[in-house]
Amino acid sequence: MTQRRREQLTAYLYLAPGFALAAVFVYWPLVASTTLSFYDWNLVSPIWSAVGWQNYRELVSNRVFWLALVNTGKAALAFTALNVIAPLLLAVAVMRVSSRWRDVYRVLLFSPTVISMAIACAVWLWMFHPLYGVINSSLRLLGIQGPAWLSSGDSAIWAIIIVTVWKTFGFNFVLYVAGLLAIPAEMYEAARVDGASERQLFRYVTIPLLAPTTLFVLLTTFILSPQNLFVPTQILTQGGPNEASNNLGYLVYQLGFEYFRIGYASAAATLVFLLFLGLTALQFYLAESRIHYGR
Amino acid sequence: MTIRLLLLALLIALSATAPAADAADPVTIEYWHINSPTFGGPAVKELVQVFEAKHRGIKIAEKFQPGVYTGLMQQLQVSLAAKRPPAVAQIGYNLTAYAAGQFPHVLLDKYRQSDPAFFKGIPDNIMALGNLSGGLHGIPFGVSTPVMYYNPDLFQAAGLNPDQPPQTWADLLKVGQTIKDKTGKFAVYLQQPNDEWIDQTLIWGNGGRPLSEDGKRVGWDSPQAIEAMQMWQDMAVKTKIAANLTWEEGLQAFLSGHIAMCLTTIGRQDHMRKNAAGFQVRAVPVPRFGGKPLATATGGNVLMIFATDAAQEKAAWEWIKFLLSPEGATIWTKGTGYLPPRAELATDPKYLKPFFDEAPMMKAALQTFPYAKPWVSFPGARGLEITKILIKAREEVLEGKRPSEPILREASQQANALLPR
Repeated sequence: MTQRRREQLTAYLYLAPGFALAAVFVYWPLVASTTLSFYDWNLVSPIWSAVGWQNYRELVSNRVFWLALVNTGKAALAFTALNVIAPLLLAVAVMRVSSRWRDVYRVLLFSPTVISMAIACAVWLWMFHPLYGVINSSLRLLGIQGPAWLSSGDSAIWAIIIVTVWKTFGFNFVLYVAGLLAIPAEMYEAARVDGASERQLFRYVTIPLLAPTTLFVLLTTFILSPQNLFVPTQILTQGGPNEASNNLGYLVYQLGFEYFRIGYASAAATLVFLLFLGLTALQFYLAESRIHYGR
Repeated sequence: MTIRLLLLALLIALSATAPAADAADPVTIEYWHINSPTFGGPAVKELVQVFEAKHRGIKIAEKFQPGVYTGLMQQLQVSLAAKRPPAVAQIGYNLTAYAAGQFPHVLLDKYRQSDPAFFKGIPDNIMALGNLSGGLHGIPFGVSTPVMYYNPDLFQAAGLNPDQPPQTWADLLKVGQTIKDKTGKFAVYLQQPNDEWIDQTLIWGNGGRPLSEDGKRVGWDSPQAIEAMQMWQDMAVKTKIAANLTWEEGLQAFLSGHIAMCLTTIGRQDHMRKNAAGFQVRAVPVPRFGGKPLATATGGNVLMIFATDAAQEKAAWEWIKFLLSPEGATIWTKGTGYLPPRAELATDPKYLKPFFDEAPMMKAALQTFPYAKPWVSFPGARGLEITKILIKAREEVLEGKRPSEPILREASQQANALLPR
């Protein structure tokens, strides 16, 4: 065996455990699920009936599927916007606090990220209570009648978005703090010498120099957002009222584990997979070509 | 060396998964239930303790399943797919047709011959709840009726007599308006969990049927159903005397004194009594529709056996026999408020008479019991979707963007298409 071949073999051996895990837990389920999407099966019955493209046809003519798609898009956009703006402003604010308090704020702001989503939802369930929850009670003090957050079709999806943003913004916040620390102090000094105001510093120094961080945050947040919707949907609204807060991830669960139409759910899962495969490919392309950390 | 270590690890792993062969070991069976800590959970623990003390050879691993009966069904289906089902599980009456039709389980008719004593004292109309399409699929365990709990303090605050709660919906609308005007609080909350028990109760109550007698059509687009659901919508949207809240929100709001009346199961009477904040909760039968007789959907569950080997099945049957024995049923009824399937226990001074004497809210359930109608379990492989269609229709009705008629008409069309022909 030549030296080169031996090196190649070693490389494959090192890759094997990782690949084996991915094969068992990612690729095989992917193949199995796609196969299932052409069958009608309830998870228990010994009979799998082949139905061809029927599950896909039924799905695209199902109002709930399109509603879930729109809701997922709506949530992803709102979630991404909020999860970029809030962490950015908070990071800038925290950097202005005296260094003694800075760490305290960082810990406080990061803490929602580390608690369990289920527990966070249980807490928010009471904060959203329309009669005496802290949110509507505060709104009442301002003379505003808050919505019945979880039982109104207009607000249910927003309740889920709010919880999800609150739960996940800490991660982007840390990225922004790191991004801000990486901006050389001389940049600000030079701008100040040129007579720039604080607002101009933020607009013409901070924002442009944070661009790589922002792009990274934008892309990862957008792709991850639909995955973050499941737990709050399950705990807070079960997709209701009348499907108003349903979304793609929850729909797959609903079809599979509430109606036990595993083939139908697999068809939905396959479509969702293809959609996100496309988005991820776009993300890879953008990340490769646009994010440069060089000075 | 590495290979030897690997082999050793493999051996250890195999020995850990091999079933214990020692016959002296007790049989452990899993019992799945929906009894959360606030809904009969402590009673389940007590039942297990008493049972295990009497049956040394059997251990009960009781497992609470969240999400009420629908949640339990989901976990059950997954466990059946993994071929590791619990030995015994509670199946809600609204899901018995689906479970009996779709899940592999043990038919219980054979025990009628081997254990005739067990079946004595359970009335036929109750036993019928577990008897579907010619076989005995489950033993009725929890039997509950909806009742109307109310907060006498709020009645008093509104200048109403707390000893005269509304008996008809027309009364309730009047009383409700007074409560709202005088106290600023909501008058009533009808339970809104992820099931359609109260919805079916309203349909039955107004003289309709959730499902036609031949099982070919749902009855949600009947004038009676439309009228009943329209009344609920008007209370929630027009007069705003009814609160439109999620189930957890509604229950808490009632217990903390923000809502005067609450329609839910008698199975919660213990929880209501212990958790009502600063008031003495009372209960009466749910309101009637004008001169029509009272009619309510029967809640609760049957116990079905999913055990796949003989030892497990035997233990499962012993456990079920205990749960329905006078001793077991007494613990169960005291801890939950479910009515005992053996009706005579309610008047037996050795068992439940003292409890019924001291729990005045139970009277509401006993008064309702003769008028109990089935909680219809929609037949066929798509039965669970049909249930969900009714839940979604209710949610849309309560949002109040359209009147109930077109909503229920569309929902009925969808549901009828899913019923077996």
